[in-house]
Amino acid sequence: MRGQGAEPLLCWGGDWDLPSVHTESLIVLAYAKFAGAKLTVKPVDWTWRTITAVIPQLNYECSSVTEPTQILNFLRKNRFNADYELSAKQGADTMAYIALLEEKLQPALLHTFWVDAENYSSLTKPWFAAHSPFPLGFFVPGRLAGAALSRILLTKAEAPLHSITEVEGKIYSDAKECLNLLSHRLGTSLYFFGNAPTSLDAFVFGYLAPLHKASLPSGQLQQHLKQLHNLCHFCSTILQNYFTEAGRPHSNQDAVDANLQKLTQLVNKESNLIEKMDDNLRSSPQHRLNRAHRPAPKPSFQTAGRNSTPA
Amino acid sequence: MSLAAEAFVSQIAAAEPWPQNATLYQPLREDQILLSDCASSLAVQAYLRMCGLPVRVCCRANAEYMSPSGKVPFIHVGNQVVSELGPIVQFTKAKGHSLSDGLDDVQRAEMKAYMELVNNMLLTAELYIQWCDDTTASEITRQRYSSPYSWPLNHILAYQKQWEVRRKMNAIGWAGKGLEQVYEDVSQCCQALSQRLGTQPFFFNKQPTELDALVFGHLFTILTTRLTTDELSERIKSCSNLLSFCRRIEQTYFEEDKDSQSAGSQYSRGPSLF
Repeated sequence: MRGQGAEPLLCWGGDWDLPSVHTESLIVLAYAKFAGAKLTVKPVDWTWRTITAVIPQLNYECSSVTEPTQILNFLRKNRFNADYELSAKQGADTMAYIALLEEKLQPALLHTFWVDAENYSSLTKPWFAAHSPFPLGFFVPGRLAGAALSRILLTKAEAPLHSITEVEGKIYSDAKECLNLLSHRLGTSLYFFGNAPTSLDAFVFGYLAPLHKASLPSGQLQQHLKQLHNLCHFCSTILQNYFTEAGRPHSNQDAVDANLQKLTQLVNKESNLIEKMDDNLRSSPQHRLNRAHRPAPKPSFQTAGRNSTPA
Repeated sequence: MSLAAEAFVSQIAAAEPWPQNATLYQPLREDQILLSDCASSLAVQAYLRMCGLPVRVCCRANAEYMSPSGKVPFIHVGNQVVSELGPIVQFTKAKGHSLSDGLDDVQRAEMKAYMELVNNMLLTAELYIQWCDDTTASEITRQRYSSPYSWPLNHILAYQKQWEVRRKMNAIGWAGKGLEQVYEDVSQCCQALSQRLGTQPFFFNKQPTELDALVFGHLFTILTTRLTTDELSERIKSCSNLLSFCRRIEQTYFEEDKDSQSAGSQYSRGPSLF
């Protein structure tokens, strides 16, 4: 599967300087970039799949995987693993923070984009209506908004049949607290676990990037995010490093190529060194004795290994 | 509870000390309470014991309908009623009792994240097994849930609750999961908790926090409750450090009950881990 690019990933298309406007699609796109998986991305915009498919959806050999967690697991099984270097405890932390995002941040995000009347009528509804084929434009936004509202009510309302106004205050204060916690956790580092992005970064990016980039007329949560500079910087860094030519499947290729070039240079240097040392050894009188122990190649191999890790 | 009301409550709460006659309400222990409610109730009891706040446990058949949020357990302190662990933690904090004051910002973020992991995985799995697994629902859950009521109310209430939970599972995408997948999720969650705990006595080393109370409440209840199969508790038993964690908390905070069980009101459910 590696490198064939044969698995089409269905997701909502991009806008607002983002590769996709849809949180779940963004999570998968970001993770694929982090893990170096080359997916053929098929936007569902203007097709009937806007109503028939569960988005995002990864099709592979007649079977299809939906939901970000499942797709990420699928990619991991196929050796596209961005979490390879994490310790077991960091893996546990990843699970916990993803649960935090889902429980505390997601309800308020759904509310901001789909339930808040001002945002819905001036941003979300026009966008999704314009990206659905006629006559689905009349149904798709309403259907998605209905799903969002019922999800908020079923998970956060204290008793059934409660109205949305009773939970609004609670979900927004939860979400703001969650943003603060994420900001504390990220601190001054580039990504959540050091210098390489992992699946937690993909999830946080998926949740935060639309909030960071969309021009929302009523955005109390957006205002709060703007005050947390490290989270904003985190979104911009990922957009810059992994999606500079947004939507183009090659954008990651350049980074990989550059890394490969660096590696090749390093290997060349090392092999030159080895040759030199070999020559030195050969010219020395006891070379036969020393060659039995092969002292030269070993240390130089270690240097090569160490240098190549950050690449 | 609205934010203004919450702020108001914490204002008043700060003024009064913890009274001796605080009461915790939960459904009937022997033949009504369900796994998930029992876990939440035990978590709150463990939390209050860790804080050293005395509370009398009171079982009422209509506890669910007495609670301001429709969820059990809830505590009645002075002239205030607060339900569920999160608000109760805030409430005790307003009164000057807190377990997580010693943590820094990053640790507090971690604590909240793991608490959400428990709610997101263990609590949801408990609800799923209770109400969405047909065998458990028909043999245990509906009977127990409706035990205080007579025909036809018992059937109406039980099916109404089941419908409610199933709608929730639909909304969060758990409806399509099979039982095996749910057990797998519980396993993953326990392994994550086990990794995080490591060899420490509590999640944040020497001092217990509300996370410890929550984890204890859920794990202990699952371990000591008989369901149609042992599958769920078996998944927890594979993490030995979580087992000894439960024993440690039971020993430290619930031990005195064993001597004074006949005095009774407090905590005496099910078999202990010893």
